[in-house]
Amino acid sequence: MTAQIELRNIDKYYGSFRALKGVSLAIEKGTFVALVGPSGCGKSTLLRSIAGLETISSGEITIAGQPMTGVPPRRRDVAMVFQSYALYPHMTVEENLTYSLRLHGVGKVEARQKAGEVAATIGLSQLLGRYPRQLSGGQRQRVAMGRAIIRNPKAFLFDEPLSNLDAALRVQMRKEIRALHDRLGATSVYVTHDQIEAMTMADWVVVMRDGIIEQQGRPLDLYDQPVNRFVAGFIGSPAMNFLPATVTPDGKAMTLDGLGEGQIPLAVPAGPGRAVIAGMRPEHLRMAQGPASFHLEVGTIESTGSATYLASADGALQLVQSERAELKSGDRIGLEIDPARIHLFDPETSARI
Amino acid sequence: MSRFFNALRDGVGFDILLVGAALLFLLALAGAPLLYNVLMSFQQVDMFTLGVLFRPFVGFDNYVAVVRQPEFWLVTRNTLIFVFGSMSGQFVLGFALALFFAQKFPGAATIRGLFLVSWVMPGLVVGAIWSWILAGDFGVLNVILKNLGIIQANVVWKSDPNFSIWAVIIANIWLGLAFNMLLLSVGLAAIPRDLYEAAELDGANAFQRFWTITLPMMRSTIGAVLSLGLIGTLQQFDLFPALTEGGPANTSNVAGYWSWQLSFQLYDFAKGATVSVMMFVLVLFASIIYVRSTRHEVRG
Repeated sequence: MTAQIELRNIDKYYGSFRALKGVSLAIEKGTFVALVGPSGCGKSTLLRSIAGLETISSGEITIAGQPMTGVPPRRRDVAMVFQSYALYPHMTVEENLTYSLRLHGVGKVEARQKAGEVAATIGLSQLLGRYPRQLSGGQRQRVAMGRAIIRNPKAFLFDEPLSNLDAALRVQMRKEIRALHDRLGATSVYVTHDQIEAMTMADWVVVMRDGIIEQQGRPLDLYDQPVNRFVAGFIGSPAMNFLPATVTPDGKAMTLDGLGEGQIPLAVPAGPGRAVIAGMRPEHLRMAQGPASFHLEVGTIESTGSATYLASADGALQLVQSERAELKSGDRIGLEIDPARIHLFDPETSARI
Repeated sequence: MSRFFNALRDGVGFDILLVGAALLFLLALAGAPLLYNVLMSFQQVDMFTLGVLFRPFVGFDNYVAVVRQPEFWLVTRNTLIFVFGSMSGQFVLGFALALFFAQKFPGAATIRGLFLVSWVMPGLVVGAIWSWILAGDFGVLNVILKNLGIIQANVVWKSDPNFSIWAVIIANIWLGLAFNMLLLSVGLAAIPRDLYEAAELDGANAFQRFWTITLPMMRSTIGAVLSLGLIGTLQQFDLFPALTEGGPANTSNVAGYWSWQLSFQLYDFAKGATVSVMMFVLVLFASIIYVRSTRHEVRG
């Protein structure tokens, strides 16, 4: 496996604002990489730097082994799908698809034939003569993808391509984009602020914040082993609960602040009396059937049918139950906590302990 | 009585009043003179019939007489040269400036704003300024061209029959440049940036992006600018009295100025009206193109 896209120490300044802070990233050929993070974290800037639409302040970019720093976008041989789709409004679907071919001197007959093939792959065959304004959001999205596919580029770059679609269509397009990626054996970089999209689509997830990479790895590794409180809170929905906790004097267990005297054993002993942050995913907290060592007062209850979302009255804890529960606001319930599924973080550095 | 006022204030009465005022203004000050002009072009107008509305009807006699005037074809030719020369100069230079100021550089917006000076200035003042610039003996244009080695002897711009129409065209290009630039700038700014980015990634160089994205996306703006340019150029009047008065020997005379000369210097109101009606048909044609081009907006 060779790196199809390699970024070394990328810095990007907008005036005095440092949008990217020494980012290094190697993207293997054939992988689907998601760049995920809150808005303003630099993920789009990084993607646009790969495309060449932003000039980086320092660092190096190579694509398929070729140094690309300072090379204009049209010589990089990468295709991009924009959030706004950026279809050419004055061209029909077929003209949109074949635009790049025509620029590269491909003959009319051949371009037409290729457009037909691509349209068939993405289900646009009936719409080749239409203009973008005559298409629905999902169809425009497909044209934008078709325009990228037809060129057979070295890499596909996606800039939040699904954020303008409604929820149901988003789920469907998620699957289609991933299936297309597999069929083409392509290398894809996908920017999103939606961690579910990142988790479900990508082979490799890169979590960014404030211009740096906080953590990268396989989706479930990020879920199971977040390196810090930020990644822990960002990956997973609903978000992880964080409760301040105190290690007991013998160093072998801890108590959760505000949840009474109940003790949770520690897998690895910690400094006696040390303050820590205990992270617990809502789906890993269970309502106790029998007697329990932790109790909480129920605040709000939301039932979706398949799951029940409970929040404590003080708002500190959220839990998700797959069973239905006959509860009302104000009820006290017992809580079962699996010690193996607790993540501990340092309150000062936020790093995983 | 109060019911009447309530209806006026709250019902459709007030709406009709507002629309009616505007409509009345338009009919009285644009519609009526226009009709009167058309009517006059089919009548015999002389000293004895000046004060009446219904004068002897002469059919197309005035039109035939105008076409038979010895200067008719010269004026027609001049009008065409003036219109196409001014419009192409205004459009090409205006588009070039609009593209230039669409680039991001410090002060771009401010300098572009300064260009509006030419648009704000009255035509007569612009004419006076250009009259000095183009002056044959002391004009600054001759000095520049001579120093650049383009001409050897002074050109008497305003009184040389070969150059007189071009003297007015140059001044008119300057006068209309800002208006063209401004409208085209607005059109340029309305094209989404990501289209250019998509085209760049698709492999288009700067020239290809201009040809395949900018121009087609500007279609309606260009249509509007050209039609308004045609109307504005045909209506241009101020520059002629300020620069050449149509001379020498009608070599810089155009239809609009000729119509004015016929009516208000020769007092041949019928012929003056006839020339203006002929121009009106041309402007009407341009207006139709303009309205059609704005109707076919191509925006994503």
